[in-house]
Amino acid sequence: MKSYKELPDDAGSNIIGQVTAQANRLSQRLSTVKHTVAIMSGKGGVGKSAITANIATALSLMGCTVGIVDADINGPSIAKMMGVRNITLEYTKSGVLPAISHLGIKIISMDLILSEDDAPVMWNAQTQKDAFTWRSTMEVGALREFIGDTEWGDLDFLLLDLPPGSDRLPNVVELIPNLGGVVVVTIPSEISQLIVKKSITMARDILKVPIIGVVENMAFYMCKHCGEPEPLFSVQDTSDYKLNENTLGKIPFDPKLSLCNDSGTPYLSEYLNTPATEAITEIAHKIQNFFNS
Amino acid sequence: MKFLCIDCDTAMKFKDVTRPEQGSVTAVFECPECFTEIAMYLNPSETQMLKSLDLKLGGNNEAVQPMQMVRSQLETAKKDPFTNISSEVTNGETAEGGKCPFTSVISEAFDENSEPTPEPEQSGLKWTSEALERLERIPSFVRPMAKMGIESFAKDNGHSEITGEIMDAARGNFPAQF
Ligand SMILES: Nc1ncnc2c1ncn2[C@@H]1O[C@H](COP(=O)(O)OP(=O)(O)OP(=O)(O)O)[C@@H](O)[C@H]1O
Ligand SMILES: [Mg+2]
Repeated sequence: MKSYKELPDDAGSNIIGQVTAQANRLSQRLSTVKHTVAIMSGKGGVGKSAITANIATALSLMGCTVGIVDADINGPSIAKMMGVRNITLEYTKSGVLPAISHLGIKIISMDLILSEDDAPVMWNAQTQKDAFTWRSTMEVGALREFIGDTEWGDLDFLLLDLPPGSDRLPNVVELIPNLGGVVVVTIPSEISQLIVKKSITMARDILKVPIIGVVENMAFYMCKHCGEPEPLFSVQDTSDYKLNENTLGKIPFDPKLSLCNDSGTPYLSEYLNTPATEAITEIAHKIQNFFNS
Repeated sequence: MKFLCIDCDTAMKFKDVTRPEQGSVTAVFECPECFTEIAMYLNPSETQMLKSLDLKLGGNNEAVQPMQMVRSQLETAKKDPFTNISSEVTNGETAEGGKCPFTSVISEAFDENSEPTPEPEQSGLKWTSEALERLERIPSFVRPMAKMGIESFAKDNGHSEITGEIMDAARGNFPAQF
């Protein structure tokens, strides 16, 4: 009796061919994108999406063409932060046209597809009983389509706003094997820093993705009374957690930034000379220099 | 996945596949020498895994449509989340039955040339007006699933009419509140 290896193919489904075709479609789509950058963290809620939206704005104000993939399939927030929530997506045979913010930033997000504010992502299935066995595959499939089926056109930067955790980057790297780099976001709390170390190890040592640097968000706030920067969290000694990675910048906590995110107006285009704007603009320049050097 | 006809010691070839029915798919393979056929059944989980990978049994001969997986599989999507602005009519994705088990599922997600979605199988169960009212209160995106769950609970327990009490009893079976 013939063994598995002796049988010529998979009975005609050509699964390998189908998977290769998916990968080719993706890499062809990204051939007009110069740099892909994933924004990741360890813990959730540290400001990845806010920073993605504002770095995109900064890069755009610097004259770059920018796109954002909201890779947080279950907790999408980029469409709201960029003020494009109410857009209906259009498509042609060759792809889905992304939503475009007033600065010309191209955006794709699950939020543009979901029916209602309170609608979670639920996939069509006969039963949701064993959904844990396929749900994450579905999410990777959705991300593959977001990256590969959106008509990005020529872009200098495509930013990917990842969900929290170190476990998501491997999926992205599988889809984009030559990912340009990773920006790691943390806040000055021991807990955040403990977890962010895992993300750095995952990116640098396991996946071998270049780390552009670490952003410390909510690093301080400007005291209303004396005008001096004051720490927002207790931990200010940042010597250990970055595992020798370079700091791209420290962004202060600014309530106006949060208000801008909520109202869908990028903070950076509203407030030109604040410490947060300066910090974010400097980070955007460092990202650009990372690829130019 | 490979199949061997033991008598002929020959690899079997893919022949046909049904559309998903109650979540499961049947694929037929045939020995090219003695023409013996075998049927392979995928259970709903296996079918779902294939869907989630956007892979087609028997090969994919169709032009890929943009975001076809999200468009066809997202249950909680807006009514018409995507507008087709292409001048050409996107054809081909409605090839009947044939080789692609999920063609029908995919084409329904397209707003052009889509076939009407067949009504969910009539359960033959009656709903009291109170029960119907309560059904209406379930968020629209989970309603079809909840309805199916309640009806199958009622059937399993030998009821022919769905009342408020049956809904209460069924409630423990799935997450939607009603
Ligand atoms: N520097 C800042 N100053 C003020 N508010 C901020 C700052 N950074 C982020 N925020 C606010 O903090 C909240 C959390 O930020 P955000 O949603 O960007 O975090 P996240 O890391 O993307 O979260 P998740 O892990 O859930 O994706 C948001 O309301 C955002 O507007
Ligand atoms: Mg986020």
